[in-house]
Amino acid sequence: MVTYIVRRLVTAVLILFGASFVVYQLTALSGDPLEDLRASNAPNREQLIQARTELLDLNTPAPLRYFGWLAGAAKCLVPFAATCDLGSSIQGEAVTTSLLRAMGNTITLVTTATVLAIIIGISLGIITALRQYSGLDYGVTFMSFLFFSLPIFWLAVLLKEFGAIGFNNFLADPQIPGSTIVVVAIASGLIWALFAGASWKRKAVAFVLGAAAAAVLLTVLELADWFSDPGLGPIVILVTGVGIAFGIVLLTAGLRNRRALYASLVMVALGLVAYYVVNPILNAATVWMILAFAVLTVLVGIGVGYALGGYDRGQSMRAAALTGLLMGLLIVVDRFMVTWPAYVGNPRVRGRPIATVGAETPGLEGTFWITGLDTFTHLLLPTIALLLASLASYSRYSRASMLEIMNMDFIRTARAKGLSERTVVMRHAFRNALIPLATLVAFDIGALIGGAIITEQVFAFSGMGQLFVQALQRTDPDPIMGFFLVAGILALVFNLVADIAYSFLDPRVRVKA
Amino acid sequence: MRSRRTSRAMGVAAVALLALSACAANTGTETPEETAEGEGTGGNIRIAEVNAFSSFNASSSEGNVDINGVIAYSTHSGFNYIDNDLEVVENEDFGSMEVLSEDPLSVRYTVNEGVNWSDGEPVDGGDLLLQWAIESGYFNDAVTDDAGEVTSGTTYFDYAGDTTGLALTELPEIGDDGRSITLNYSVPFADYQVAFGLMNEGGLDTPAHVLADKGGLTDEDALIELIRTEPAGDPENPVERPELKAVADFWNTGFDTKSLPDDPTLFLSNGPFIASAVTPDQSMTLTRNPDYDWGPMPKVDEITVRYIGEAPAQVQALQNGEVDIIAPQASADTAEQLEALEGVTVVRGNELSYDHLDLNFSGVFAEESVREAFMKTVPRQQLVDSIIKKLNPDAEPVDSQLFLQDQEPYEESAANNGSEAYAEVDIEGAKELLDGATPEVRIMYNRDNPNRLNSYTLIAESASQAGFKVVDGGLGASDWSAALGNGTYDAAVFGWISSGVGVSNVPQIFKSGNGSNFNGFSSSEADELMEELVVETDPDAQNDLQVQIDKLIWDSKYGLPLYQVPGMNAHSDNVSGVEYMPNLTGVWWNFWDWQIAQ
Repeated sequence: MVTYIVRRLVTAVLILFGASFVVYQLTALSGDPLEDLRASNAPNREQLIQARTELLDLNTPAPLRYFGWLAGAAKCLVPFAATCDLGSSIQGEAVTTSLLRAMGNTITLVTTATVLAIIIGISLGIITALRQYSGLDYGVTFMSFLFFSLPIFWLAVLLKEFGAIGFNNFLADPQIPGSTIVVVAIASGLIWALFAGASWKRKAVAFVLGAAAAAVLLTVLELADWFSDPGLGPIVILVTGVGIAFGIVLLTAGLRNRRALYASLVMVALGLVAYYVVNPILNAATVWMILAFAVLTVLVGIGVGYALGGYDRGQSMRAAALTGLLMGLLIVVDRFMVTWPAYVGNPRVRGRPIATVGAETPGLEGTFWITGLDTFTHLLLPTIALLLASLASYSRYSRASMLEIMNMDFIRTARAKGLSERTVVMRHAFRNALIPLATLVAFDIGALIGGAIITEQVFAFSGMGQLFVQALQRTDPDPIMGFFLVAGILALVFNLVADIAYSFLDPRVRVKA
Repeated sequence: MRSRRTSRAMGVAAVALLALSACAANTGTETPEETAEGEGTGGNIRIAEVNAFSSFNASSSEGNVDINGVIAYSTHSGFNYIDNDLEVVENEDFGSMEVLSEDPLSVRYTVNEGVNWSDGEPVDGGDLLLQWAIESGYFNDAVTDDAGEVTSGTTYFDYAGDTTGLALTELPEIGDDGRSITLNYSVPFADYQVAFGLMNEGGLDTPAHVLADKGGLTDEDALIELIRTEPAGDPENPVERPELKAVADFWNTGFDTKSLPDDPTLFLSNGPFIASAVTPDQSMTLTRNPDYDWGPMPKVDEITVRYIGEAPAQVQALQNGEVDIIAPQASADTAEQLEALEGVTVVRGNELSYDHLDLNFSGVFAEESVREAFMKTVPRQQLVDSIIKKLNPDAEPVDSQLFLQDQEPYEESAANNGSEAYAEVDIEGAKELLDGATPEVRIMYNRDNPNRLNSYTLIAESASQAGFKVVDGGLGASDWSAALGNGTYDAAVFGWISSGVGVSNVPQIFKSGNGSNFNGFSSSEADELMEELVVETDPDAQNDLQVQIDKLIWDSKYGLPLYQVPGMNAHSDNVSGVEYMPNLTGVWWNFWDWQIAQ
């Protein structure tokens, strides 16, 4: 195994050398950095051309210039010496500085979308596999391919038009027209019907229920002026919490495990108490405080699960901890909602919260909750755009993988020995279906830092993609090489990680060292 | 009955919801904060810019980017600025510019008392002297070979502007009041009015006391002493000047930053605004400089600059109320989108860049009659109609080689230079001149620029009707400019940028053998007039000379100016005072007039 990894790493270094040389030459050939100056009629044209020639060392042929860059980049390999020199942009900023900043921005932009795409995509894939060739299956397949094939710049423009400009106009005067309620109700009914079981009768009932629920909900929310003054309140938190407790227990332990259910319900009750006790403390919240509360919640959940758990404590502990976490999430969401009117009314936001460009409202100052909402309103649309575009691959892969597993002999064996369907699906099939996805996820995390060039461009987000595009427009090789170095190294490393992880997860695949 | 019952049920539900929120936990957010931070009397205006800020020194070659220029314009003051009629306006509240004698030209610049940097230090003679040392290239003694490599000596201040004007002046003395310097020119310099302390070029933007400190000198007096005692740069006998080099090196790169430096002396202001917050590659906030009272007073308290590269993203940000003013790259799509918006005013005009067709004075075009015949075939009106009209409905072909339509003498020159002969396409006249000949003409242009490609197509089509065999010599974006003047083509379509004020550009393009004279135009008469022009300090006399030169150029069948590039900006109706400006300062030129409409 070690020899295998070493061999892969050595190849990776060689690949990086070759590729970086090629990329450097391509960049140098991609344009003329003097284009604007050559056609200039400024009286000091010659002087400007000379200054830029010197700045970019244009008199040295590009293949030789590459080694100058390489000499600087090689210093990055000296550990702890802080001698890293990746050059600087035409405007004089060190590439290391701009790379760090761009990476940070990209990670904030892409992480949520990727995590959500993985969770939602895999869940959809599993569900559609279990209901193969049903209306739900066809519906999900259609939608995911539709979003996959929509050009993302167009999707982004539509999102801005309706999700930001339209929604902000609506918020200025939150009146929902009757026609909208009807459309939303029908849509909701259709979705419910899709998820409902096979018989037409059940579908009809689900449709009616879903449509009615959506219509009533919208009307009540409108009457209560919920859109300008949102919040969950203790009752909604309690009801949702109980729902969550049942759902979690259903998935992790099965409802017949009464002890797990009681542990989860205890966590809901504790969550409701925490809602009153913790909220005043949350005025001075920071990210670390929230994280500390999350850890505490998990510990309490484990404790409760242990105390109530009986002979299979693990299941109760897991269920209670998960329920506790989700209760905490509800409290945090409620808190954000309660802060919403103050955010919208802030003079910097001027009553139009959902943003179309950038990562923050310039000059906005406020508590953790205000700045958190600000990040939310700025990241919402790009995240949706990225999420919709990447749902397809995850849902398709996981559907295929799940279908394959469900037809395996060991599933039949599991059923034959009388295991409940929940155990068969969750324990025997689901886990094994995830193995092939490990590769996909590893690749995607590697590609994550590479940035989303078009999305960043459309939403004026200054991440890695922008760094690359802008440097390319100026024929500025150093930032491009910095970008390439980061993206290339990550691609190679995560490729290796994917292979190794696969061999660990699936004992049938063993590396021949 | 039924509907009443349902609405009652809904009412009950609503009351229930309200009751629920009444028993909600104490979150301390019940009273929305009334404090309007950043919201003084004048309010805040947000403007979108295409490029991201990168340096507090917009005059060095690295910092010379449009956005840095406008930040320098709004945070520094100077002796004069250019208004949107392209007239020079003096800023007498800042200081005075006094012509002591016309010949030899001698100008005294005095800064008024009470004009301070934002750290409280006065703007004084030391600052003026340093500015002069930077912009005159006084110490430079570098020699470069043909390839552009420096063979000996050093270029100290890497100044991106033109040094030729101030290079004519000798080392100035600081006046007895300590707030003035007198520039004595060895020969009169035509553009002396805009040669020093022009606000559009950053005004007085380098604090001498800061640069002295950062360059390792004890204080401002040491820097003054250094400038006064070091001998002028002589490329024949270059000398090492380590102290000056340290100062210049700091000036060249020390102000480059994408974020707000911890050291406030690196972004001192002596103008209406001062930088207060910067988020790299995202936004920048300028707040009112509390001491400033020496020049046009801004009406708003704060300007937020946001960087949005894409034109459609700028339009949607304006529509969503995230920015108040945008100046996107003009295109037909953008214009259409903006026109469709409610509550938005679109301001259109010409930019000072213009496309033109130049004919080489060699090869197939060596013969004047062939050039004339080709010029007669150029469908200039059609070019304007099909390329420019959708952006600027008032656009017309440019009829002068030296003036643009926004400049006052344009009408006079256009009426006098014989351009009306080419107002209409005259295929018959061209055929007559060619007399049955079918010359082959290779036209070079930037193929990746759609406007130029359209121009070429229309010109080629029309010229072939008169018998010209037009060869497409278009090159890609990375190659076309390197081909300029290399003799591989007979005609070229490309663009010039006029400065709008001043005459230094004229010889650069039209004088025999000069750097941007790519088509080999040479007229001894015009050369003489241009020599006269660059030492003429009277604006009216300058215009007379230019009108004569313009006519000589047209008479020589030089080629044709085609059209001015249209520009556009848009602002929300919440904002007033935004006016179109053709030059590079753009919409910022009168930022002090911007205000929030009530």
